[in-house]
Amino acid sequence: MTSPSPAHDERGNDARRLRHSDRTFLICFSVLAGSYLLLLVSTLVADLFYTSPGHLWHALQSAEIRYAIRLSLLSCTLTALLSLWVAVPIAYLMARLKFPGKGLADALLDIPIVLPPLVIGLSLLILFQTPPGRAVERWIPVTYAVPSVILAQFMVACAFAVRTLRATFDQISPRHEQVALTLGCSRSQAFWMVVLPEARRGVLTAGTLAWARALGEFGPILVFSGATRFKTEVLSTTVFLELSVGNLEAAVAVSLLMVAAAVAVLLLIRTQGLDSALGRPL
Amino acid sequence: MNPARKIVAGSLLAIVVLTALLFWNPRNRPSEAARRPLLVYCAAGLKSPVETVAREYEQITGVSVQLQFGGSGLLLNNLRVARRGDLFLAADSSFLDAARSNGVLAEVIPLARMTPVIAVPRGNPRQITSLRDLERPDVQIAYANPEATAIGRVTRQALERSGDWAAIQPRIKVLKPTVNDVANDVKLGTVDAGIIWDATVAQYPELEAVHAPQLDGSVGDVGIGVLTFCDQPAQALKFARFLGARDRGLPAFARAGFSVVEGDVWKERPEVVLYSGGVNRVAIEETVRLFEQREGVTVNRIYNGCGILTAQIRAGQRPDAYFACDVSFMTNVASHFRPARELADTRMVILTAPGNPKGLRSLADLARPGLAVGVANEQQSALGALTARLLRAEALLSNVMANVRVQTPTADLLVNQLRTGSLDAVLVYAANASGVKGVLDAVELPQPQALAVQPYAVGRSSENAQLMTRFLEDLRSPASRQRFEQSGFHWRDVPPAP
Repeated sequence: MTSPSPAHDERGNDARRLRHSDRTFLICFSVLAGSYLLLLVSTLVADLFYTSPGHLWHALQSAEIRYAIRLSLLSCTLTALLSLWVAVPIAYLMARLKFPGKGLADALLDIPIVLPPLVIGLSLLILFQTPPGRAVERWIPVTYAVPSVILAQFMVACAFAVRTLRATFDQISPRHEQVALTLGCSRSQAFWMVVLPEARRGVLTAGTLAWARALGEFGPILVFSGATRFKTEVLSTTVFLELSVGNLEAAVAVSLLMVAAAVAVLLLIRTQGLDSALGRPL
Repeated sequence: MNPARKIVAGSLLAIVVLTALLFWNPRNRPSEAARRPLLVYCAAGLKSPVETVAREYEQITGVSVQLQFGGSGLLLNNLRVARRGDLFLAADSSFLDAARSNGVLAEVIPLARMTPVIAVPRGNPRQITSLRDLERPDVQIAYANPEATAIGRVTRQALERSGDWAAIQPRIKVLKPTVNDVANDVKLGTVDAGIIWDATVAQYPELEAVHAPQLDGSVGDVGIGVLTFCDQPAQALKFARFLGARDRGLPAFARAGFSVVEGDVWKERPEVVLYSGGVNRVAIEETVRLFEQREGVTVNRIYNGCGILTAQIRAGQRPDAYFACDVSFMTNVASHFRPARELADTRMVILTAPGNPKGLRSLADLARPGLAVGVANEQQSALGALTARLLRAEALLSNVMANVRVQTPTADLLVNQLRTGSLDAVLVYAANASGVKGVLDAVELPQPQALAVQPYAVGRSSENAQLMTRFLEDLRSPASRQRFEQSGFHWRDVPPAP
């Protein structure tokens, strides 16, 4: 008799059931994940129906829009870099040090995320009317000039970078760092050679998040920088201004340009990004 | 190089390069072509202050200023024939008026104010101390022709008002064609006195001014005007701004005996801040752009809801000018501005889907059960405040509010929501609907409360008040009016109440 033993049969059934349940699990997750992607893609497709190649072409033809694209891309990238330079030390110190008032510092770092954007713009405007603010303005004009765009973006983008990096550094076990220290590394060497490479994924995420936040920022910019053509007009304010007169077609056309620019830059960073700087793949 | 150094060096380099790119704006490079000389027709009487200021200007900017002197009338004839040159600086406003009516004058930048006085020979031999003395039978006076000169016209009006004209008229020995001829007569002694500008007296060392309070209200203006055939208006206006700047040209005029106007502060390239209600943007943006180009200035424009703008003004911001969505958003910050001029108005409309499928014709229709209506928020916007006021006046507030699905801080949100089909009707300004003409249907509301009026005012403490006043003139121009009307506004242009 070579009929399969019940035990073997049961094991086979188990495996099948297992494979079956795996498949169900993956299908469920794929459906959930896909539904969000579908939502994203459908909004973009719906957007396309609200504009036309003519509107897109018209937008690209306009010198104002080309200037806004340039200013948007330059300022966002600068903001993202500056945010990282500030957010990395903040997040590292917050993750590694214990000091009095840390809870308060933590809460303060969330202010830009919590505050309504208009209030951030208004607060910056007021800050630069104070005597120290005016002193700065004498050397570098900030209010209603290009630096105000960067500052307004930086205020918000940096807070998001800090949040992301804080989680990253919290999750990196201090063990490797301590081993490096016992092997004779200085604190700075340990940071640059051990901690930062370990945190590179977080740094990259923080950078892209800051970049994306900066690109979409317009509330504070509208108040603190104005919307002067060829000067402080960025893509997000263009969209807002076109919307404010019911010109949906132009607003959507510019939005699609923003989406295209964002996707291109984010893909570039993901594929090139830090691995070239660190000399190893992510 | 270890990766750490690479990251640090790379990112710092990127920051430097990006910053450099940001500030390197190819559009802002000064053009060398603008270094052509300026030709200024200048009234001879103004020679000394203008020459000083022109030399200073040449030193600072490297642009040479060619001054052509002569009597104002002669210059006016010359430039009308030659049809070239950049600026005209006349001795009094009557010549500027004449130039304007001949169509050769564009902007005028005021420099000084002149007041009529009684001119007598130095030492005042006939003891003339008031207008009463001119009525004495032993006094003979020369008078500038009221038909031909500004001084003659305005002083006769003033004297008629004060009741002195009848007594003075018999003492007039001669009528002269210009104010300088009157001064010459007094100087030569052919008459005992004449009524001329205080600034004219200041040009004649042989004369002395006697102040007459009755004439104080009849001021004349000295100003420099840009000629319509000037082909480098930005350069011409720059010199005119220099001449009319309180810290540059005007002190020279003050030293020469003129009572100068309150000029702007000199800046090579002024930057001004304009606050404007978002609804006005489409109507003014092109005018702003042309103004920037012509004047060679930068206008930083801040468009936003007027509630937010007035909040910023109350928080201490001082825009050089403010163009409000409605007078109600000007009155609460009026103390920071000069009297406002109402430029346009726009009526509220019921905006519906194309073809008005629900047949909404009046405010009362909005109270019909089952409608989805959108209105602006009463606290956050001028439109919302007007909407609530209107509905209250019509006793429809609670009925319509029962249908209100959304209250937004700005009208554009309502228009966009209507366009996407989530509402049946919204209450907005006609000007909000100008961008969607033909896409949505608008029903105008006839009620007097359904009108928003847009006033423009120059900041009281602005250092660029003259500049912003010239911008107002541009806003009032026929081309600008056309842009307002195309944007769904109704033209108004009502001067401020005195």
